[in-house]
Amino acid sequence: MTAYFIRRLLLIVPTFLGITVMVFVITRMVPGGPIERIIVQARQMQSSLGGLASGPAEQRQPLSEDQIERLKAYYGFDKPVLVSYGQWLAKVMRGDLGTSTRYYDPVWRMIVERIPISLYFGILTLLMVYGVCIPLGIAKALRHKSGFDNVTSVVVFVGYAVPGWVIGVLLLVLLASVWEIFPLGGLTGDDFPDMALGEQVVDILWHTVLPLAAYVAGSFAVMTMLMKNTLMDNLAADYVRTAVAKGLPFRRAVFRHALRNSLIPIATSFGNNVSVVVSGSFLIEKVFNINGMGLLGYESVVERDYPVVLGILVVSSLLFLVGNILSDLCVAAVDPRVRFE
Amino acid sequence: MPRFQFNPPTLRKIRRFQSIRRGWWSLVVFGCMVVASLFAELWVNDRALVVRYQGEFYFPGYSDPLPGATFGLDYAYETDYRDLARRFAAAGDGNWVLMPLVPYGPYTTDLRDDAFPPFPPDWRQRHFFGTDTVGRDVLARLVYGFRIAILFSLGLLAVNYAIGVSLGCAMGYFGGRFDLFFQRLIEVWSNVPFLYVIIIISSIVVPSFWILVLIMAIFGWIGITWTMRTVTYKERERDYVLAARVLGASHGRIILRHILPNTVAVIVTYAPFSVSSGIVALTSLDYLGFGLPPPTPSWGELLAQGWTYMSAWWIVASVVGAMVVTLVAVTFIGEAVREALDPKRYTIYE
Repeated sequence: MTAYFIRRLLLIVPTFLGITVMVFVITRMVPGGPIERIIVQARQMQSSLGGLASGPAEQRQPLSEDQIERLKAYYGFDKPVLVSYGQWLAKVMRGDLGTSTRYYDPVWRMIVERIPISLYFGILTLLMVYGVCIPLGIAKALRHKSGFDNVTSVVVFVGYAVPGWVIGVLLLVLLASVWEIFPLGGLTGDDFPDMALGEQVVDILWHTVLPLAAYVAGSFAVMTMLMKNTLMDNLAADYVRTAVAKGLPFRRAVFRHALRNSLIPIATSFGNNVSVVVSGSFLIEKVFNINGMGLLGYESVVERDYPVVLGILVVSSLLFLVGNILSDLCVAAVDPRVRFE
Repeated sequence: MPRFQFNPPTLRKIRRFQSIRRGWWSLVVFGCMVVASLFAELWVNDRALVVRYQGEFYFPGYSDPLPGATFGLDYAYETDYRDLARRFAAAGDGNWVLMPLVPYGPYTTDLRDDAFPPFPPDWRQRHFFGTDTVGRDVLARLVYGFRIAILFSLGLLAVNYAIGVSLGCAMGYFGGRFDLFFQRLIEVWSNVPFLYVIIIISSIVVPSFWILVLIMAIFGWIGITWTMRTVTYKERERDYVLAARVLGASHGRIILRHILPNTVAVIVTYAPFSVSSGIVALTSLDYLGFGLPPPTPSWGELLAQGWTYMSAWWIVASVVGAMVVTLVAVTFIGEAVREALDPKRYTIYE
């Protein structure tokens, strides 16, 4: 068992290298990188400064060859792809993710600033999802094909079919714009710094409701159905029938026998939450204008801020790979029959 | 030539599918929606269905654009049929125009002198779901956007399945190093944040319909490949494969004639869910502005408009309504197909 997990941990290395090499090469091959952006900026500045007098100056290259070479050297674009990948990797190994080409801030600090925001929503979502899904799934399984089951199924299917961010847009338009019950996005109100502590907490919670609803709507359907289906499988299993037949109260048979086994698949998916919790959904963060990891990643891709893109990739892919292993550990922990080799 | 007939087990499965009412009616509704959108020109169009002018019939719906001069108007560009209908009605000399139910095309901007779009839903103007922020009819854009989204997801489905089924089959059947190599490749591939790559690619090339299908397929083949691999892997161990092998069947024959027909259930079950994820993916990309270029009618673009101009609640409400109906129908179909192909008997304690 230990050998299995050590091997899994070692396998992270080639996968991680594969992912980062791929994205690194892509960022190199596509046009529109930081240098081209600087050239465009310089050209705009030149034409706005020169005004009418400069005339054809707009056509001229605003930077000299020498300046471009220096810029290329600065961003590491002057070397072959694999060499600069090696340099980048060596820096990452030392814990240096580079600096943003857009804000000139250290990437690591930008990521650390955003993590708490995504983490806040992630953990709340997790609590809500598990808090709702497990009881709901149990209730649906016990009342299979009843009116309650059918009505909640419709809700669950709508949540499953329609992505969370679309529900978010609808909630935002209806509850925040038309009826003006909730704020229009962001995490804090305009006068947040002037509020007392209690008011601040209320303000944040007020801003949390809609995005949280969107997050939960997007993920509770799968969990509920998983809970329901596995519990029903287990209720149909022989050992539960035996338990009921020998005279165990039904309630006890469900909660002491069937339920414990049904929680195994739920535990399996628990490890995957690690990466979701931290990286957040960039679509929901964009809809509600929340400055979390997802939005940072999205904006850095759109603005071609490659150090940030790669930095987020490093963090999220490591979390994802570790989360996968954690899932296996969870399975091994809750299910003594599982033997990894 | 004998008439094509399903074999009895298949017939039984189809009948079981029909007996699941929720799935069957979803299929009926969804089928009607697809057919209605394919013939959208007949009921959502800014061209008239029939024009009766000086004793002659004209059918401008599917023909080349008719200049206004055809109907005695003083311009050579395409006839404005809504205007023509008003004129004929005012003149009252036996000429008439039959407009479609929604007399606006997906690109028609309805401009007025006294107000600025977006206009709220208005039955008299036949803007049943209102207009968007530049005055285009929301229903018209929904219908034409639906058509594009469905064709997109079907195209994506075809490409994904072509790659996934052949590669997955090969991986499961041949196993060994071939399998191992592609396993690692898939692991790396599925860890690459695919939306990021799609955004990077589609911000360089302005994607056309098929380019977008191909870009999405770069990452879309993984799911079905993995499933096909597992299924083929199981099938390969069955006795009938061994028997075919002993009889001297080639690898190609075993895969095509024996294994593939036995995995059809998986392929079919997977399809509805691929369709709905295709629609969602296109909508998300369009919402972010990295999908099909404007002014292509699309649900994502409408959502983006509704998100920007929040007071025009009817835009978002109609798109979300359409999405709920479409996606829930597709999901119900998928659930029913799964149930029909792999029925489960549950024990219910009284």
